[in-house]
Amino acid sequence: MRFRTQLKDSKTFSKLTASLSSLGKVCWMRLEYEVIRFTIIPDQGTQVWASIPVGTIFDDTTYELESNSDAINIEVNISVLNRALRSAWGATHAQLRLTKKEKNPLLALTVLASEWTEGNMALATNDDADGFGDDHNSEEAPADTTGDRGPRERQTWITQEIPIKILHESAVEGLHEPHCPDPEVHIILPNLAQLKSISDRFTKLASTDNKNRQPGVMAPDAPGMHSVSFGGAGANTAATALSTNSSPKLELSANMHGSLRLAIATDELRIASVWSDLVNPPLDPAQMTQEEMNQLPSELNRKRAASEGFDFGWAKVRIDGKDWSRVLSIGRLSPKVVACFVNEMALVLYVYLPHNRDEEESCLTYYINSFTT
Amino acid sequence: MTSLSLSLGPPALVRLHDALICLSKFSETVAIEAEPDLLRLSALNSTKTGFASFAFEKGVFFEAYSFNSSINGRSGSVSLERFFCQIYNKALLSIFRGRIDRNKDTAVERCDMELHEDLQQTECRLTVKMICGLGVIKSYKLTYEPAAVQHAVFDKSKATSMWTADPRFLKQLIEHFSLSAEQLDMYSDSGRAVFTSFTTRITDGKEVLKHPVHTSVAADKRDFQEYLVEENMHVAINLKDFKAVVAHAETANATVTARYTRPCKPLQLEYRFEGVNAEFTVMTRGQADSEEVPTSTRGTIPRQTPAPIPISAIRSRDTRPSVTPSTQMPPPPPRSRSIRPLNGSSTQENLSHQKPSADRPVASGLSMEFDSLFVPADDDRQWDEMNEEEEEEEEEEPQDILGWDASGTQDAFGASIRDTEPSFSKQDGSRAEEADDEMGLPPTQRLSQVRQYGLFD
Repeated sequence: MRFRTQLKDSKTFSKLTASLSSLGKVCWMRLEYEVIRFTIIPDQGTQVWASIPVGTIFDDTTYELESNSDAINIEVNISVLNRALRSAWGATHAQLRLTKKEKNPLLALTVLASEWTEGNMALATNDDADGFGDDHNSEEAPADTTGDRGPRERQTWITQEIPIKILHESAVEGLHEPHCPDPEVHIILPNLAQLKSISDRFTKLASTDNKNRQPGVMAPDAPGMHSVSFGGAGANTAATALSTNSSPKLELSANMHGSLRLAIATDELRIASVWSDLVNPPLDPAQMTQEEMNQLPSELNRKRAASEGFDFGWAKVRIDGKDWSRVLSIGRLSPKVVACFVNEMALVLYVYLPHNRDEEESCLTYYINSFTT
Repeated sequence: MTSLSLSLGPPALVRLHDALICLSKFSETVAIEAEPDLLRLSALNSTKTGFASFAFEKGVFFEAYSFNSSINGRSGSVSLERFFCQIYNKALLSIFRGRIDRNKDTAVERCDMELHEDLQQTECRLTVKMICGLGVIKSYKLTYEPAAVQHAVFDKSKATSMWTADPRFLKQLIEHFSLSAEQLDMYSDSGRAVFTSFTTRITDGKEVLKHPVHTSVAADKRDFQEYLVEENMHVAINLKDFKAVVAHAETANATVTARYTRPCKPLQLEYRFEGVNAEFTVMTRGQADSEEVPTSTRGTIPRQTPAPIPISAIRSRDTRPSVTPSTQMPPPPPRSRSIRPLNGSSTQENLSHQKPSADRPVASGLSMEFDSLFVPADDDRQWDEMNEEEEEEEEEEPQDILGWDASGTQDAFGASIRDTEPSFSKQDGSRAEEADDEMGLPPTQRLSQVRQYGLFD
């Protein structure tokens, strides 16, 4: 088992981990030859499945991966990884590799940070105390002063050793992305910064004395991790568990005619914000025949509303305000987001990171449960 | 009667506030120590592993400074021209907070502090007056309490390793460490200064992900102004203390000098600026040299709070608390009313026993080196973590408690409670011993009940 690579874009990597870490601490990271997958399945709240082409964050030419199963599965505390990556900002050289220390597996991040220094950092105010004791008198000290004092490049090596857990292939076999029914509506979300600030504002207005719910931590050995179900009974239990906390719920709805509506309602207030002229992207014809496509609820909705008026064809979900805010933190990577609405059941977000034309596309999929009223 | 009065200009006021903030990271209380030429503020942390001290020089830092002490009559020592007390740091901080704004009409122009201590008076008050613009005067009266001021002992002349560096550079190093890191290990490795942060936490084998991150930062020696450190010798200190020092040094714009000898011996960080001498003495961990740290130390010293010892003894060699003699009773402390009854003897007796004080240093068992000042304190829990230590460089249980020099010459507090030490009884004769026995424990019977035995008839 071997993994070693230079980081290509530590800033993107760092922003990505920062956004992921808001959803949960424990991240399943799957290293494959072509893609790196990040998956976070918290006990409650939104789960995310991300697939990032190697070249987006790592340097293709130095990427080395060896494993019997053609993939390495590790579990890592994503916020720790994120914090460690901060050391790599602006570094001339940053390498990430899999290693071991006293039988404990580690991800070791080695960074060479260079910085131009003006040289002598002596400060005018200090004329070095009273020498250096009896053995080293003050005449000797300046002679021992290390190195030159001119302007030069200061180089510092930083090593961050991040503890991880190696997961056997069998441990992750049972993990798969949730299945959910075909969406009634899919729509490209407006600017996430704007959406987030409005959502946060609404949530804050509706917040009463709710106690802060901690983002769920996925218990490393929890059996639940292997039997993730989505929709149906699973969704109901999750919804029950979540609705016990008093965090406000946002109502998000959209139709196939470019409208998105964000609303919140409490005993005291009702607010709504509506976006129009958004894009309902066409589906990829390569994936299914025209006939199949015509049967999809979203395409039916697209045709219907034109004749029946705009009050029809809306799909609505109720989502946790705080959780939604954490999901939207992905906005820092300025992605394109397609939201798929399964009425009263779920919201699935496909988040595409900006990429060069010749590169493969990075995609993060967020599965958000809808709460029952 | 003791009196202290001083005046501070606005820049000094800011400096004082910065120092108080730094001290607040060590302890809730700040010890104030006045001498004719300087004022010292210090703080000792609760585990007695870190001691921070700021000495403000009379001529440079203050606009005016005067200190008079007239308790010479009671003391047997010449070096007694000091005054100690301690104060709750939050109280001081709240007074000095936000007094910096020069744009306001009512900005502080001068700060006067006064303290008069009279044994005849019951009140202990420190008066702070902020003379502000437009004739506004804000006065504060703070309660202080008498205290046994203790200093960490550090002999600079014996330091074998030292480095000097810009605080901004040190801050850059610190920024790589995880926020939850607790310890900082430093060593020199072939031309590089390596700083490693780690956390000594008990971790279950299953909770691998909760293991702390190890971060090591290797900087070029040339980034230090001076770097004279023994190769490959690891010493570890509390990262929080280090951060506190660097943060303050940065505000003061003063280069920091670190001096140390070996692991499990104290390390001192020092810097000077504008008439202020800041010294931080912290205990180090690491693999101790067995020859230098007698393992017997722990066994022979009874569990007790290290008792302060007289300044005269410090000047020689020893500060081992357990052998502190009390051939001499301490002088009455500034406010010893609450303490005195424990002696079981009158004040007159106290005073009369002060005479033989000159003998004290001789009588004490001066057997240990400076280095062995580090004895366990009474709090047993602080050892637990170390026992669990899984760090490779910490196989041996380090002695990480600072020893104390009670430079407050006659420290009334510690000694007057322990007045049953042998030397005292010898001097005082059996009568005193009996008195001690009688009064050492609270009575459990009424006198009337025991009268029949004839002891008190």
